[in-house]
Amino acid sequence: MYKNIFKYDDMKRAEHMAVRTTVGWYFWTHQILEISGPDVTAFLEYMYPNKIGNLAVGQDRYTTMLNEQGEIIDDVVIMRMDEDRYWVSTLFASMTDDWWYFHQGDYDVDWTEITDEWAMYAVQGPKSKEVLEGLVKDSIADLRFFEHMDTEVNNIPCMINRGGYTGEKLGYEIYVKSENREILEEILKSAAEKAGGREVTEFQVMAWTLPTEANFYYMRDLAHTNPFEVGLAKNIDWNKEFIGKTALLKIKEEGHAREMVGFEVPDADICIQSKQYGGPGEPVFIEGEEEEIGRVSKLVYSYVREVNNGYILAKKDKLHEGDKIKIHGYDAVITKMNWM
Amino acid sequence: MNKKIDERIPQNSGEGAYFKNYYGIRSPWNKIYSYQEALHYASRFEAVLSAAATQALRIIVPDYVQRAQLMCEEAYERLYNAGKYYGNDDDYGIHPFFCGQFAGALIGDKGDDALLMCGRCQDFGTYRAEKELDVCDWDICGSELCRATTMSLQGQAAATAERRRKGPTMEYMMVEAKGCGDRHCRIIAESREKYPAPPHELWESFGPAVTDEYKKVTQEEDCVSESMMFREECDYHFVNGTNNETDSSNQMVKMSSAASTYILPAIAETVKRGYVKREQADHILKCVLEAAGKAMFGERYAIKACRDWLGVPNSIGEDGRIMGGLIEMLLQSLVCQYEVEAFNKEEVILVIDRGGLEITGTKDVPQTHLWMWQGMVKTLVNVQWSLTEEDSPDGKMRIKIAKKIDKFM
Repeated sequence: MYKNIFKYDDMKRAEHMAVRTTVGWYFWTHQILEISGPDVTAFLEYMYPNKIGNLAVGQDRYTTMLNEQGEIIDDVVIMRMDEDRYWVSTLFASMTDDWWYFHQGDYDVDWTEITDEWAMYAVQGPKSKEVLEGLVKDSIADLRFFEHMDTEVNNIPCMINRGGYTGEKLGYEIYVKSENREILEEILKSAAEKAGGREVTEFQVMAWTLPTEANFYYMRDLAHTNPFEVGLAKNIDWNKEFIGKTALLKIKEEGHAREMVGFEVPDADICIQSKQYGGPGEPVFIEGEEEEIGRVSKLVYSYVREVNNGYILAKKDKLHEGDKIKIHGYDAVITKMNWM
Repeated sequence: MNKKIDERIPQNSGEGAYFKNYYGIRSPWNKIYSYQEALHYASRFEAVLSAAATQALRIIVPDYVQRAQLMCEEAYERLYNAGKYYGNDDDYGIHPFFCGQFAGALIGDKGDDALLMCGRCQDFGTYRAEKELDVCDWDICGSELCRATTMSLQGQAAATAERRRKGPTMEYMMVEAKGCGDRHCRIIAESREKYPAPPHELWESFGPAVTDEYKKVTQEEDCVSESMMFREECDYHFVNGTNNETDSSNQMVKMSSAASTYILPAIAETVKRGYVKREQADHILKCVLEAAGKAMFGERYAIKACRDWLGVPNSIGEDGRIMGGLIEMLLQSLVCQYEVEAFNKEEVILVIDRGGLEITGTKDVPQTHLWMWQGMVKTLVNVQWSLTEEDSPDGKMRIKIAKKIDKFM
């Protein structure tokens, strides 16, 4: 009973380790909002806390989206496609739909969701560059992290974005029109296999185990947190106005109440609730004390370190690296949030 | 001393649920119940009615296998088509990159919480998913319902998958069921591409699971009794693994019941297949539901409890107002609109919005209530009193509770 759903699963392990050792490719289409208009840059500067205006055409940026209370309501990658046209890659387009309308005000902008028009494939891992160089018309050698370029794969027009959600130094995303999806899949399948790689098919690998190992968040981790609590405040542009700034300044001044910490559970076969499945997550207590100091946000498995790993959203300064705690009766230890 | 303040229901719980005066329900004698309590009351009452309706189905189709197969086929087809034509992936946080039938698990997960079937998701992946329930008000209806609900989820999962890039199939199984006496309901979905197993008939949806060793069983002391939307540690919100979040305000109006969603459609299917004529099916339903209604207040203590629950003053004796008040509580709990045309010791007349009582649009539901109420009034008040439908305007059900002599009653 409670047999670890990650550790003993050879398929998940193989898919995860393909990305870490050779190359893994997978269907990774997100929702895409295309936003354009004369005021688009100013509008995005207002909508997101990180600096947008200094992005050159062809560059991307990760940023959170906040509400007036300074809580994170989305985290996205913004791509500058033209001077007055951006793509926002998100998984919450429908949830933030009203948000855009509500805040448009006098900004002269238009936006439309173009998700159905595009398919996106992640190609991640140490051999990803080599695999793609063998496929693309124009070399991607000079493409830096969070830069994108237009090119072709087997005469199929595509956009290659250097980036990803795996923590790999070499990782790319290929955008093609939806009608070219199946052709591109065949090409990627063959090319990856020749390089010793494979398709990643398991949601848990692409969304949980790979990103967690590299200290990336899936939106559920960030729900009802603020950027200070989850270590995403350092790139905030305090010199501009943005939604949530007033609340965030107050938090900055007074200090944040919680923080995300890493943890490991050495026992393999465990039963601990975590927010990634929904619900509140398992409560965390310091041994011998009654006060709940946090909840388990994420608990997956690091195939690199061979240990159960995850995040706890805890009261600030209550848990420190190396602290030993018990969660639902299992021994656990507080760690850094990176297992690469 | 531990100074912890135990959780309380927030004052705005029920906000947005279209209540008229309060975020809750109020009896004619000013007994007020919270939105949360109202939802529990309505859920259980409808489950009792559904359990009685299941007995009617059992009379119509006595063979368990034949009945379960019929229910599963009907539920699968209907929910598959509902998912195909009306499914909305955004409502459940189904992401564009999800491939295959596993996304359907998110639909079941959210539906469970809305129906007060609280528990937890234990696994959610492309090839395996597991959901464990601690509570299910429908657990009194019978195990064939457990099978049918599983196949409705299978239908939803199939429909959802068809809108997406092709991916692994999933076989949804209820490997444990409270309706069978298990502590939990447990749905395990497995991809047969990854976990092969012999094929089986549609009704045989109880497993066993190939991945039984991955099963996570919550011990009694860790079980929950409320949905996330009513729990403090969840900040009174349902939230799933893809961060789809809802409060409790719309749960009640969206509520389905076992009768409206499974049992009555299955009975309609028996008519369609020619097992019985519609008149025979209605006759059986009427007999069973009236008997069930009578059984509710056959003992004096049940009447006392009901009067206390409604806050009926001692000055009010045995008359139709008690039954009328009880019906009002149910209608308010279901957020079903009604008007009080008369409410006195001689008669009670309520004009009920028929559509509001249909629950998920099942046309037979108001009539089943009428039959059950007719039984209830005989024991809650006394046999001199009857509950009948009279002179209903279009779209309404006008019920009259009054003394009546009927030599063929």
